[in-house]
Amino acid sequence: MFRYIAKRLLAGVITIWFIATATFFAMHAVPGDPLMNDKAVSDEVRKNLEARYGLDKPLGEQYIIFISNMLRGDFGISFTQQNRRVNDIIREHFPVSAILGIFAIIIAALGGILWGALTALYRNRLPDILIMLLVILGISVPGFVFAATGQLALVHVNAIFGVKVLPVAGWGTFSHMLMPALVLGLGTMALLTRLMRTSMIDVMGEDYIRTAHAKGLSKQRIFLRHQLRNAILPVVTVLGPQISAITTGGFVVEYVFAIPGLGRYFVQAVQQLDYTVIMGTTVFYGAFLVLMVILVDILYGFIDPRVRVSA
Amino acid sequence: MTDSILSVRDLAVEFDTFGGVVKAVRNVSFDLTAGQTLAIVGESGCGKSVTVQSLMGLIPMPPGRITHGRALFKDQDLLSTGARGIRGRHMGMIFQDPMTSLNPTMRIGDQIAETLVVHKQYSRKHAKDEAVSLLARTHIPEPGRRANQYPFEFSGGMLQRAMIAQALACEPAILIADEPTTALDVTIQAQILELMKTLQHDNGMSIILITHDLAVVARMADQVAVMYAGEIVETGSVEDIFYQPAHPYNQGLQQAMTSNHEPDRVLSPIPGSPPDLFSPPKGCGYCKRCPHAMSVCAEHPPYLTAVDASSHQSRCWLHHELAPVHNNPVRRP
Amino acid sequence: MNYRAHDLKREDFAPLEKSQLDEVVARPSLSYWQDAWRRFKQNTRAIISMYILIALAVFTLGGPLLWTVDASKQNLNQTSQPPGLAKHALVVSAFERWTLPTDPSRPEYGDLPPEELANPEGLRAAEAPNTQSVRITWRPVAEAGGYNIYRHTRPPTSMQDLGLPLGSIETGNVHGYEDRLNLKQEDYFYSVVATDGFDEAETYATLQLRPQLAITREHALEQGLSEDPRAGDTVTLAFYPLGTDYLGRDMLARLMEGARVSLFIGVIAPLAFVIFGVAYGGFSGYVGGTIDNILMRLADFVVALPFLLFMILFKIAFGIGPGESGVIPMLVALVLLSWPATARLVRGQVLQIREQGYIDAARLMGASNHYLIARHILPNTMGVVLVTFTFAVPMAIFAEAFLSFIGMGVAPPTPSWGSMCNEGVKTMLSHPHELILPAALISITVLAFNLFGDGLTEALDARMRGRE
Repeated sequence: MFRYIAKRLLAGVITIWFIATATFFAMHAVPGDPLMNDKAVSDEVRKNLEARYGLDKPLGEQYIIFISNMLRGDFGISFTQQNRRVNDIIREHFPVSAILGIFAIIIAALGGILWGALTALYRNRLPDILIMLLVILGISVPGFVFAATGQLALVHVNAIFGVKVLPVAGWGTFSHMLMPALVLGLGTMALLTRLMRTSMIDVMGEDYIRTAHAKGLSKQRIFLRHQLRNAILPVVTVLGPQISAITTGGFVVEYVFAIPGLGRYFVQAVQQLDYTVIMGTTVFYGAFLVLMVILVDILYGFIDPRVRVSA
Repeated sequence: MTDSILSVRDLAVEFDTFGGVVKAVRNVSFDLTAGQTLAIVGESGCGKSVTVQSLMGLIPMPPGRITHGRALFKDQDLLSTGARGIRGRHMGMIFQDPMTSLNPTMRIGDQIAETLVVHKQYSRKHAKDEAVSLLARTHIPEPGRRANQYPFEFSGGMLQRAMIAQALACEPAILIADEPTTALDVTIQAQILELMKTLQHDNGMSIILITHDLAVVARMADQVAVMYAGEIVETGSVEDIFYQPAHPYNQGLQQAMTSNHEPDRVLSPIPGSPPDLFSPPKGCGYCKRCPHAMSVCAEHPPYLTAVDASSHQSRCWLHHELAPVHNNPVRRP
Repeated sequence: MNYRAHDLKREDFAPLEKSQLDEVVARPSLSYWQDAWRRFKQNTRAIISMYILIALAVFTLGGPLLWTVDASKQNLNQTSQPPGLAKHALVVSAFERWTLPTDPSRPEYGDLPPEELANPEGLRAAEAPNTQSVRITWRPVAEAGGYNIYRHTRPPTSMQDLGLPLGSIETGNVHGYEDRLNLKQEDYFYSVVATDGFDEAETYATLQLRPQLAITREHALEQGLSEDPRAGDTVTLAFYPLGTDYLGRDMLARLMEGARVSLFIGVIAPLAFVIFGVAYGGFSGYVGGTIDNILMRLADFVVALPFLLFMILFKIAFGIGPGESGVIPMLVALVLLSWPATARLVRGQVLQIREQGYIDAARLMGASNHYLIARHILPNTMGVVLVTFTFAVPMAIFAEAFLSFIGMGVAPPTPSWGSMCNEGVKTMLSHPHELILPAALISITVLAFNLFGDGLTEALDARMRGRE
C-alpha cells in the first residue's frame, strides 16, 4: 500500500512542477509586458516596478526566481492591489471555494450513487424513467444556466412564501451554502447517476451475485454488501477528474451568487490582467487538483483490493 | 419414494426473449435420496442448468417463468418465495467458473462465513474461525492466512475448493454442483472430484452433479438422468446408463466416446444439432437425429417407459409393444 | 407409467422418411457496419437525436439563406421584445408637447384640508393612448390645490399601493397629465389623487388603458416600412419571430450566427484533436515499448493541466484582452488541451487489438505493417473514435459557452450561444426569453449529441447486445 501511495505522490510532484513551468511560459508569451496597462506611469516608477517584480532580468533567471519562490510558498504580490500578497488572497478566499466545492461533491456523490442504484434496481419501470429524464436534463443544460435559473427560482419561491426561505446571494451561514452547492453539484450528479446505473447493471449480471442468491442471502444484504460495493468502483474513479470540473464550475456559481471565493477572484484577476494573481492561482489550483486526484486514488485503493496489491 | 429428500415433478420453465418464448425445460421429474449422487448429463442447451437453477430460485422471473411443476425438499415447497431459508442452509450450490463466482472485493473468509452468520446466527468471530476450519477441510494450505485474502490471490483450483467450503458451511443436505470441473485442468479436476466424494461421505449429503463429461459421471454418480432438448430422456443407475443404454441418444453418446479398450475404433459423432426450443418439435425431440426414427416419433411425443425391473426408464417409442422387434436396439423379443 | 389412449397402429411404427424433416435456418449475413446500423435504427432516442442534428445543420448552414435579417442591426424602438407575431404600429407625427388642460375659472389653491377633498371624477384618456405619449384628463376637484399621478402595472389595492409616482401637479386648475415614461404596449393603471398642494386626499380614481404601439413618420420612413406614411396609418413593424435582445437585434438571426460560431468551435476543434489523438495514440500503441511509455507520460502531463484555467491563459498569451473575441485562440487551446484523452483511448484499443489472434494470423500470411494498420487495426478502432468524437463535440460546446459566459471566450458584439446567455442573464427577470432561447439551443444540441453518441456506442459494441 505504501508503495502505491509513494508512487502517486512522486508523480504528483513532477506534475505540479510541469504545471508551474507551463503556466510561467504561457504567461510570458504575452506580447508586451504586464505593466503595459498601467496608466500614467512615469519611466522611473516603471523602472522601479520592473526591478521589484524582476521583469528586467532575462527569462531564464526569472523562471528560476519564480520556481524558488514557489518552493518557499511565495507567490508574490498582486499587480492591481499592490498592498496584498497573493498568498494572503489565496488563504482568504480559497477556504470559501473549498467548502462550496466539498459540499457540492458530497451532494453529487451521494445523489449519484443513490439515484443510479435506484434506476438499476427498478430498470425500465417508473423510477428509472423519471430519474433518467432528469439526468438527461442535467447533462445537457450548461452549469451556468442552472446557476442563473436556480437563483431566479429562489427569488420566486421567496416571493411566494413572503419570507426569505433561502438567501438569494452572499455567504456566511449554512443556508447560504445550500442552493449554490446544489446547483454546482447538479451536473456531476447527473453524470454519476448515469455511470452508477451502467455499473450497477453490469454488477447485477455478474456471476458472484448469482452465488450470493444461491447462498440464500436477503435482497438487502446482497444489495449493500455485494452489488453496491462493486458498482461504486467506477464512480470513485471518476470522482477525481470531476473535482476538477466542479472547481471550474465554481467560478460561475460564485459569480452568480456573489460568493467571495477564489474562483470569482480569479475571474476578476483575468479581467484586470493581474499577472501574479493569475499565475499564483493557476499553479495553486493545479497543485490542489493533483492532490485531489491522488487522494481519490488512495481512496480507491482502500475500496478495491486488486489495485493496492498489484501496484 | 419414502426416503427421497428432493422430489421434482413435471417441471417446466420458459423464457421470454426477443425472438419469442423459449421452452428451456419441458418436462422434468426426478427424485433424490439421502447420501446419493445424481448426475444430470446432456449437451449444452439441453436445460440441465436451468433445471437446478429453478430449484435454487436463481431464475430471474421477468424473462423467466415456471409454467408448471412441483419441487419439494422434505415436504417444503422449493418453488415458492419462502424457500429462501432453504437455500444456502440446506441446499448449497457451486458453479462452473470459480474466478467470476466469488465477490472480488470481499475476503474469502468473510464470504464463507456469511451463510453462517445469516442462517445460523453465528457471531462474526465464531463464523470466521469456522471458515478457516472449512478451508482446512478442503485441503487449502495455510487456511488462516488464506482466509484473509481476496479471490484474485487464489488459483483456479483453490478457488473451486473455497467455493466448496462456502457451499458446505451450513452442512447442507444437498450439494448442487453445476459443471464444477469444466473450467479446471484435468489433474485439478480429479482432486476436486475426490474432495467432493470425501466430504459427501463425511457429511452424508446428497449431490446433484451437472456435467457434459461422461467420464465424470462414471466416476461420481450413483444415479444418472440424461437430458435432451429440455426433457429427461433416460434415467437409471450408473451401470444401467453405461452398460444398458436404452435411449438412442444415450447410445449415440456412448458410441461417440473414446475408449481405452478399443483404441482403434472409429469415433462416430451424432450428426445434426439439437432442436430449436422456440418452437419445440411436435413429436420426439431427438427424432431428427435418431437412426431408428419411426413415423410415430415425428407425430407424438413419447413418454417414459420402464426398461426393466429396476428404476431404469427411457422415453422412446422403441419400447412400445407395437414397435418392430427386428433391428430394434432396445427391444428384446 | 402413464399410458394414454392413443390409437396407434402398426403402420405408425414404420421407419421415418428423413427428408420431410429438413428445414433451413438461414439468416442473411451482415457486415459489421450493416449490423450496427440495424441496431442503431431500432434505438428510438438515437434516431430522434439524429434528426435533431440534421435539423441543426440545416438551421446553421441553410438558415441564413432563408432568413436574411442582419444580426447586428439594432432597432432601438423594439428592444427586448418577446417572441411573437408581427406587430402593428400607428404612425404618428413627431412629438409635440401637450398643452395641459387648464380651467382658468378655478383658483390655483383651494381651502379644503386634504381629508375632505373629493375623488376626481371623469378620469379618462384625452386621446387614443399610444406609446409615444399617454394623455389623461379629469374633472377638476373642488378646492383642490394640486394632483398626484401614479401609474401601476396591475390594479392598485390601496392608497399605499398605487404604483410608480409619475409626477405632481402643483396647481389646482390644471386637470390633465401627459405620460411619456417608457411606454409599452401593456396594461397600465393610472391613479389620480387630489392634493391641497402638499398632502394627499384619502381617495383616488383609477383608469385602465393600453397604449397602442406608435412609430413616428420619420422612423417609419427610415425603416422602410411605408413609402408615404401619414399620421393615422397603420404599418406593420419589422417581424421578429423570436423577439429581440436588449439592443433590438433580431434573436433569430443572432441565434443563427451564434450557431455558426458555437458549432464551428464545437465541431472543428474536436475534429482536430481527435485526428491528432488517433495518430498519436495509434502510433504509440502500435510501436509499444519505451517510446509508448514516454509518449504516454507526456500525454499525462497535458491531462494534468487544469483545463479551463489554461484556456484562459492561452487567450491572454495570444494577446487578446478581456472583452475581445478570440475564436482562433480558443480553438487552438481546445485542441492542445484535449487530445490526450483520445490518444489514450486509441492507444488502449490498439494495444488490445494487437494481441488478438487475427493479427498474428494475418502477419503469418505475410501482411505488411501498412496492410495490418489499414485493414485490421484502423477499422476496429473506428467505432471507439467515432464515439469519442460524438462526445467531444458537446464538451467543446460547453467549454466555449462557459468561457463566453464569463467573458473569456467570444465577447459581445460577436454572437455565440454562450455570450448570448451572458447578456441574457442580465435581463433574466424581466425578459427571460433572451436567456432561455440560447440556453435551450445549447441544451438541445448537447443533448442530441449525447443521445447520438449513446446510440452509436450501443450499436457498435457487440457486447452491449441483450443489455436492455
